[in-house]
Amino acid sequence: MAQVEKFSYDNAIVRKFAYASIIFGVVGILVGLIAALQLVFPSLNLGIPETTFGRIRPLHTNAAIFAFVGNGIFMGVYYSLQRLLKTRMFSKALSEFHFWGWQAIILAAAITLPLGITSAKEYAELEWPIDLGIALVWIAFGINMFGTILKRREQHLYVAIWFYIATWVTVTVLHVGNNLELPVSLWKSYPLFAGVQDALLQWWYGHNAVAFFLTTPYLGLMYYFLPKAANRPVYSYKLSIIHFWALIFIYIWAGPHHLLYTSLPDWAQSLGTVFSIMLIAPSWGGMLNGLLTLRGAWDRVRQDPVLKFMVVAVTAYGMATFEGPMLSVKSVNAISHYTDWTIGHVHIGTLGWNGFLTFGILYWMLPRLFNTKLYSQKLANAHFWIGTMGILFYAIPLYWAGWTQSLMWKQFTPDGFLQYGNFLETVTQIIPMYGLRALGGTLYVAGYFVMLYNLIKTVQSGSFIGDEAAEAPPASTWAVHTGKEHWHRWIERRPVQMLIAATIAILIGGIVEIFPMVMIDDQVPKIESVTPYTPLELEGRDIYIREGCLGCHSQMVRPFRSETERYGEYSKSGEFIYDRPFLWGSKRTGPDLHRVGGKYPDSWHYNHMLDPQTTSPGSIMPPYPWLLRDELSTKSTAAKIRTLQTLGTPYPDGYDQIAVDDLQKQAKIVANSLRKDGIDDEKLEEKEIIALIAYLQRLGTDIKPKPQAGN
Amino acid sequence: MKNKTLKLIPAALPLLLFSVNTWGQAAGEAASSPYFYDSMLSYGMLALAAVVFIAALAALYNLLNIMVKVQQIRIYQEQGIEAYVEEMKKPQQSFFQRLYKRMTNVVPVEKEEDILFDHEYDGIRELDNVLPPWWVAMFYITIAFGVVYYTYYHFTGAGPSSTEEYKMEMERAEKAVQAYLSTQSNQVDETNVELLTDEASIAAGKAIYEGKGTCFTCHGMFGEGGIGPNMTDQYWIHGGGIKDLFKTIKYGVPEKGMISWKDQLKPAEMHQVASYILTLQGTNPPNPKEPQGDLYQQVDNAAPADSSSTEVKGQDGGTIGMSE
Repeated sequence: MAQVEKFSYDNAIVRKFAYASIIFGVVGILVGLIAALQLVFPSLNLGIPETTFGRIRPLHTNAAIFAFVGNGIFMGVYYSLQRLLKTRMFSKALSEFHFWGWQAIILAAAITLPLGITSAKEYAELEWPIDLGIALVWIAFGINMFGTILKRREQHLYVAIWFYIATWVTVTVLHVGNNLELPVSLWKSYPLFAGVQDALLQWWYGHNAVAFFLTTPYLGLMYYFLPKAANRPVYSYKLSIIHFWALIFIYIWAGPHHLLYTSLPDWAQSLGTVFSIMLIAPSWGGMLNGLLTLRGAWDRVRQDPVLKFMVVAVTAYGMATFEGPMLSVKSVNAISHYTDWTIGHVHIGTLGWNGFLTFGILYWMLPRLFNTKLYSQKLANAHFWIGTMGILFYAIPLYWAGWTQSLMWKQFTPDGFLQYGNFLETVTQIIPMYGLRALGGTLYVAGYFVMLYNLIKTVQSGSFIGDEAAEAPPASTWAVHTGKEHWHRWIERRPVQMLIAATIAILIGGIVEIFPMVMIDDQVPKIESVTPYTPLELEGRDIYIREGCLGCHSQMVRPFRSETERYGEYSKSGEFIYDRPFLWGSKRTGPDLHRVGGKYPDSWHYNHMLDPQTTSPGSIMPPYPWLLRDELSTKSTAAKIRTLQTLGTPYPDGYDQIAVDDLQKQAKIVANSLRKDGIDDEKLEEKEIIALIAYLQRLGTDIKPKPQAGN
Repeated sequence: MKNKTLKLIPAALPLLLFSVNTWGQAAGEAASSPYFYDSMLSYGMLALAAVVFIAALAALYNLLNIMVKVQQIRIYQEQGIEAYVEEMKKPQQSFFQRLYKRMTNVVPVEKEEDILFDHEYDGIRELDNVLPPWWVAMFYITIAFGVVYYTYYHFTGAGPSSTEEYKMEMERAEKAVQAYLSTQSNQVDETNVELLTDEASIAAGKAIYEGKGTCFTCHGMFGEGGIGPNMTDQYWIHGGGIKDLFKTIKYGVPEKGMISWKDQLKPAEMHQVASYILTLQGTNPPNPKEPQGDLYQQVDNAAPADSSSTEVKGQDGGTIGMSE
């Protein structure tokens, strides 16, 4: 006679995260759509700094990744974890803290990013106080999850939970690693590492944000919701084991593939390449286990929108994880990097894999939370088709744009000139593709609203089950395992060992790549002529960061003939040793700027910022009139100098005391050069534009021979 | 029968390898071509050719298979072995079906009860299917690729580094450009440039001035000046002859903000735009910038040998009095 305990599942917290995911999904995608439209109609920023592309691009990525997908992860984890472990969540208070804390972080991001408060590290833009908040909330989530695991009634951990554990520990490590920074003030900090080291750390993080925020937790969700929805057994337990461990071990190594042909040492680049290639099979293991679980249920895939969404999601995952390794091959990357090909690639992943899996889960789970049926299968099917068309219309034009632009960048005439020497020609060529991409985005949004309506109607038609009754035998009835069993069953009974093993697996790659880079001086050859930024240049650099210039401009000339002809000498790692943070960028919507210093007169930059169309007709860069209007704040200049001194930048002792004087002296020189060209503004030397011009004119000039006077 | 036909594959392999080798050479030649589209195209054609070849090989294999089977049945019939005749007439699985079965090694849905684990999680059961052999093979191949790749580039020193690749690329390009230029008639430069007056050249020069040259952003749409000097008056800072203009455009005056255009405009284009600019002389556009530099005495273009400045300061000695 088996004893059985009665308990209940907490559905209220699941509902909260579900609603948050749905709402922030709309926000994230709409901001993305606005950004996409701004690439066709730059004036759509309405002349407001806060809504300009450079600032809303990080808003879009953060909203999509951390608000939409983030809440989606927590929704799925809180639903499945309780059921897979046959227990209620460990702590109601921690659940609530987790939920409200996460939303507070999203709110803080939504305020600070448009204000230009950013650390300039992609997908880790939030400044240090918010970083601390994230750490706090993430730890609360971890305690809540492990508390639940420890008080479970199910002896063994299911594969979904392995993925949750790996996700939690890796995100913790990544978040801490990439946000090692020293505060200057409440909303400004400089990173511990500079230049190429900072770049390696950032893309170790950036790549694995994709891996352990967009991939592993969603694989966990797939392993729960797909077999539930299909009512089919998981295809292969063995495949689950091998692909799980292989995936988390290999993924962490692949970060340097974001830095191919940059100043990162070749040995690290090649590690990124080979581990990316080795990642194909482990990634596809997840896709196979998902798709093959549907064996015997394909007839229902034709009817059931939930399964349809999941099939496309898993397929998109498979496509993206094959394409990714291909893009990590250096010769392919030479074509794809900095172009829209990359943007198309990631959106297959986010719109297809994350978006569609979330939609599938919502359509399956919400009716169950409300003890009702989905309001309309028809509308769900309509959403499926509109969304699929949206993805196609989004991705295909961007692939086309990426290939076109890259080939134009590289095309030489027989007499040795760039066929398209003016960068702008390669931009205007692909604007129609940007238009089509915005259409794809519009379709995806339209589908989303169809879902919104359908889900609202569903919720209205049912009654919410806040505490869902359940029963299971207690832990005291667990069997003692001594006989023959699969070797992996051992660790499935031991969550702590599982956590330790996963931690070791994900630490190895990072340690092997990062430690030599930051510990061994030879990795970054010194260049004598490279000196720290002057205070004015430093302030200009921080304006560059604030305005999100790196969203469209790289600062990394790769060693290709087509780049050295266009921009100048290729970038050397030694040139970036005072760059905190590094600003190499990852996309060239506009030209590379690493060698822009001295290329144009100061007044060119002034006019260009006032209205890019006057100097570059057809440009899709928005005007920055506020830089000409606003006065440069030198309030924290001294503090910035001090912080950089602490981090090792060799300013002379006590330089912070005279930094502002130096700044004003240099500003006077720049202002006078502008006046000579007829630019009339009484308080010119006090404006932000002066600092930005000083910074741009400095860029990449350290290794150039100085022009001789009176040439 | 199965064994016989399988033996054909090793026989075909050297043939395949041989062809791959020749293709490799073709690809090598394509890669050294300076024209990006060309090499892309040849790689595409190469891939297509490879696909066609492999498909042809597969078709050939299937055909042989069928012929052998027919022959076998005939022999069995002649010998009167009825049981074999029955056996051979049964539909056989095709090569691809068998390959598929071998590579997936999956337990059919109907028999999956046999491999169902007894554990379940919230109703989710798991099957004990083996790892798909093709997947395992792919995993091993990628690992092997990784080892070979890393060894080639970093342990043997055979593979070029990024910067060595760059040097090779530049050398290749240099050679190709020189080879091309040697086939062309002599190029325009500041020593031999003459004023163009034909309508087509002037129109082309205007298009460059207002287009890819973006000259107008500093010198005004009508040459009236702005950030840069007025080019419609007779005052020039660096000389107002065609050779002077060509030189100023080509090398720029970086310390004064005039950039060098030699990497962005071809000599012919600089020739055209310089000629166009000289047509602006005396046009008196609105909002002219005040004159800068020295009065330049227009020398008759038809005058032989020297069209350079007569001003006192003079230009780079090298161009003065240069005759062709």
